[in-house]
Amino acid sequence: MMRVAAALARREFTRFIRQPQRVVGSVAQPVLFWIFMGAGFTGSFRPPGMEGVTYLEYFYPGVMLMMLLFASIFSSITIIEDRDQGFLQSVLVAPVSRLAIVLGKVFGAASIGLSQVLLFAMAAPFLGLSMPFGGVLLLLGGMALASVGFAALGFLVAWGLRSTAGFHAIMMVFLMPLWMLSGALFPVTGGPGWLGVVVAANPVSHALTLLRAPFYAGPAELFATPSYLISLAVTLTWAGGCLAASMWRVERRERGAPITA
Amino acid sequence: MIGIRDLTHVYPGTRRQPARVAIRDLSLDVAEGEFAILSGPNGSGKSTLFRILCGMALPSRGAVTIAGHDLFRHPRAAREAMGVVFQSPAVDKHLSVLENLILHCDLHGLTGAERRTRLDEALGWTDLGARLGDRVDTLSGGLARQVELAKALLTRPRILLLDEPTTGLDPNSRRSFLGALTRIQAERGMTVLMTSHVFAEAEDAGRVAIMKDGVLLAHDTPSALRALLGTEMVVVQAVDAEALERRLVRDLDLAVRRHGDELRLEETENGEGLPLLERILTRYRPDIVSISIKQPTLDDVFVHVTTGATPKVKELRRTGT
Repeated sequence: MMRVAAALARREFTRFIRQPQRVVGSVAQPVLFWIFMGAGFTGSFRPPGMEGVTYLEYFYPGVMLMMLLFASIFSSITIIEDRDQGFLQSVLVAPVSRLAIVLGKVFGAASIGLSQVLLFAMAAPFLGLSMPFGGVLLLLGGMALASVGFAALGFLVAWGLRSTAGFHAIMMVFLMPLWMLSGALFPVTGGPGWLGVVVAANPVSHALTLLRAPFYAGPAELFATPSYLISLAVTLTWAGGCLAASMWRVERRERGAPITA
Repeated sequence: MIGIRDLTHVYPGTRRQPARVAIRDLSLDVAEGEFAILSGPNGSGKSTLFRILCGMALPSRGAVTIAGHDLFRHPRAAREAMGVVFQSPAVDKHLSVLENLILHCDLHGLTGAERRTRLDEALGWTDLGARLGDRVDTLSGGLARQVELAKALLTRPRILLLDEPTTGLDPNSRRSFLGALTRIQAERGMTVLMTSHVFAEAEDAGRVAIMKDGVLLAHDTPSALRALLGTEMVVVQAVDAEALERRLVRDLDLAVRRHGDELRLEETENGEGLPLLERILTRYRPDIVSISIKQPTLDDVFVHVTTGATPKVKELRRTGT
């Protein structure tokens, strides 16, 4: 099963790197976003309890999250293209498990998101951000988990759709608010009470915790922090739930209507 | 090798559309090593049947066995026995020919030396040797079809299902594709079921099945199907086909089948066609654009079976004077 999943994931990644415009655009756009927003907000960024943190630094994990979120989910759009172009049917008639198909597509999309973030991560030393090896592993693990969760969500939505434009429209309606209300763009401390509830319920804000926390604490400290463990559990549940739901969708086949007469 | 029993498929209705019966109580067997063609007009249910046979859809009722495996209970075992060539391309056009074939090998668990053997074997049937590194979207339609065929052959399937595989090909590419398919089938003794609406393709088939409105109307060898129409038929192109049809029936008591501007007098045996032609020509010359005698082809059988109000061929009686 893993061989099939790996083959499908490799295909996704090969398609991605063979489109140089896509590679450049997917990295350049968030970087420009980060630089321009950072330049604009750094002067006025004075949140309580974050003295000494520039907006560029604060926003850095937020941009990582944005890259993971958008790249992983929009890479799932290939499901719609595969169906349109016929490739999907040759996969569906192959004697492979449905889980392998889901994992292949999800891992492929997640690897695209991860590769973009890793390119972006090369900017971290220039911000004075550093972390021990254990922190790097924790960050990588958090990114992998979040990207799998996002890609599985993308898969779940894309599977039932016939139009890429429809997919874009649906995902933008949900993704932008989820990302903006995650704490990626601005600190949510000190906001109205409802905002705190929304952020706590938003799985994307928990994924952000997995990305931001390793910059400021080591693995031993994080694994002793309840809020980090809660975020880890929420993200794991989210990723597992989306994968399970995707499996269920793929298992379902077109079924003729029952004959009553 | 392929057994279809009492298959019925109803597309569920929606708020805008009522439920639609696509296949109705269809039973069909394709024996081991047989080359069968499934034909029918657009909307006859061929594609729905194909989707069911591939395991992509579950019918409302009925059973299908593929190489002895119940397709609906053990789909994976059934899929292992079959190769599929779809009507639309089912390869990744962004990948090269070889990358597509290797990906297909991965899907079927073919690795190492076994993969190399299978690739050589499948490519041996095609003209793709010099184009292995080319992206699929740079290939001609004929070569792209060969990629599909090679892909299906990689797994050495006992059963090959093809859905109108020659659609969109020029005559030479079509001939080449079918030539390769026929040779492979004969050499390997594969069971082949191919949907097509080009009856020239059915002449070499072992058996031909014709569907219309989800019902199997005929299923026999090409020669047996042609024999349904007799050995000769008179074909008349008329100025006003409907009017001439009425007069032929009224004046000469002939069984006539109308197809567009054309009238067909079928089930004419050897030697009977010419006197009939002379009689019609003498009497209705001003109403006739052209008239000819021909031996029935499978195209004629298709037209006969799928058009007109008379359902059973043998009930058509020639009662001319």
